[in-house]
Amino acid sequence: MTTPEKTMKAGHARTTWRRIKQNKLLYALLSGALLWVIVFEYVPMAGIVMAFQDYDIFKGVFESPFAGLKHFEAIISTPALSKAIANTLLYSSVKLLFGFPLTIILALLLNELRLMWFKRIVQTISYMPHFLSWIAVASLAYSFFELYGPFNDLRLLLLGEDASRINILMDSDNFLGLVFFSSVFKEIGWSTIIFLAAMAGVDPQLYEAAKVDGCSRFMQVFHVTLPGILPTVMIIFILQAGGILNANFEQIIGFQNLYTQQDTEVINTIVYKYGLQQGKFSLATAFGLAQGVCSFLILYVVNKLAKKISNVGIW
Amino acid sequence: MRTTKGEKLFNGFNVLFMLLLSVLFLYPYLNQLAVSFNDGSDTAYGGITIFPRVWTLENYEAVLSNESFLRAAFVTVSRVVIGTASGLFVTMAAAYALLKKDLPGRNLFLTMLLIPTFIQGGMIPNFMLFRSLDLINSFWVYIFPSMFVFYNMLVMRAYLGTIPISLEESAKLDGANSAQILFKLYLPLSMPVVATISLWIAVMHWNDWTTTLLYVQSSNVQTLQFMLYKILKESELMMQMAVERSMQSSGESAASPRITPTSVRAATLIVSTLPIVMVYPFVQKHFVKGVMLGAIKE
Repeated sequence: MTTPEKTMKAGHARTTWRRIKQNKLLYALLSGALLWVIVFEYVPMAGIVMAFQDYDIFKGVFESPFAGLKHFEAIISTPALSKAIANTLLYSSVKLLFGFPLTIILALLLNELRLMWFKRIVQTISYMPHFLSWIAVASLAYSFFELYGPFNDLRLLLLGEDASRINILMDSDNFLGLVFFSSVFKEIGWSTIIFLAAMAGVDPQLYEAAKVDGCSRFMQVFHVTLPGILPTVMIIFILQAGGILNANFEQIIGFQNLYTQQDTEVINTIVYKYGLQQGKFSLATAFGLAQGVCSFLILYVVNKLAKKISNVGIW
Repeated sequence: MRTTKGEKLFNGFNVLFMLLLSVLFLYPYLNQLAVSFNDGSDTAYGGITIFPRVWTLENYEAVLSNESFLRAAFVTVSRVVIGTASGLFVTMAAAYALLKKDLPGRNLFLTMLLIPTFIQGGMIPNFMLFRSLDLINSFWVYIFPSMFVFYNMLVMRAYLGTIPISLEESAKLDGANSAQILFKLYLPLSMPVVATISLWIAVMHWNDWTTTLLYVQSSNVQTLQFMLYKILKESELMMQMAVERSMQSSGESAASPRITPTSVRAATLIVSTLPIVMVYPFVQKHFVKGVMLGAIKE
């Protein structure tokens, strides 16, 4: 290194040091977030090591024996875990395949409402369940389907007084429907926001042009509105497809009961039950880690495919 | 504009459909409202719609005089207040510091804060961490782990960035330091975004119940939403016992109590959700904003 370069470097270092000193107070302001992220995000990341150990809570991460990929092999060979994966995929894909189109249809219908005050009221009402916690929604559902609740009252009204009162929540066969419809109930109104915003962004001239070409209002939806919101639709679809291994923990725990929980475990709930309730820390961590890695891979692949097909991606 | 007959028909059906939908969204909640004001033993006959049949305040008296419910309400309000204030402070301080493009190490710090939005340790490593920090069964498990949200910081920073830099420069000439500039100049000027982010944090705190489920066993620091969970699971147990009892001895029925699990649950549900249900129509625009910003970023 030649001398001028050296002095330049040293000078540079000096000015940097001076700038750091000048900005002491800014670093102090930033320190809260930095300390937080190190303690509550990076330290638990290091805890992933547990997945490769036979973790012993009394020995800790540093003393517990190494176990290799034992726990990952157990994921495949344990029937309860395979069942949880299957359930997760089932619940998520039904939500994705049916819930997603329903949201777009509702957004289209809301978009066609001409009375603005009416539209606003309907929207506000449809947002209500979004602001409730999942346990509040589960509580609403349990009351609604109670033996002497509204659902059975309606059933008797329609089928006659001789019909028996049934509790559909005690049968695990109904769980899929329950998960699907409660998701729709809670989030469909809120999910329309993004599509309605996209629809508002469609150039009005396109509608005029379509009208001139003899497009009916119905056909305009297919030729103008839907193509106009396609990029938004794709992005939301990618994000949801990426979350396919993430069943909603709060929802599933909220809706499970003594009769249904055996058959309705998903990955998140089994990590909780194996890990925190039964103390199988390593197995639960391995399961959670496998879920995280696979989720990321799925997101990556879906994004790639979407880019190939429609040129829209999230990165 | 000319509307055809078909369009008129469609408009009519659309309005009708929306009315039906609104009823579907509201009915379960209104039904619970009615049940909460209805005599418990009367509710057990079924047939309650959205009006109470035998009016009573006993359900609310039972809930509001219950000591663990009151404690849960106190814990919930405390965590909303402390959690929102501390979360807002950390978020805003970081947003302001990261606004300065010439701050040495800025990109490194930003990346450090960003990475955890993609990779997390997960439930079990979190539990181990909280255990070693003595957060298990502590009130502070509600505050510290959820103190910072990267996305909120980005939103805050974007807003602070719109405040003219000339204001800051003239304040600096008057001898103000960074902290004074942040709290005396930026804070008053950024009330809209402060309101928005405070509401996001507050609703998150109010509605969270899984933190209690995962990390708190002690009954001293339970929250309202967790009470709802407990009542739901316990009434399930009671229901199961009732079913079993009726199978054992069909015919002879015990004198029905006036307050039933169903009516207590309804009253608890209403009390623990009413603040949000009352307020959200007036503040929804702050939450809609969050959805929109997310869309632009993506």
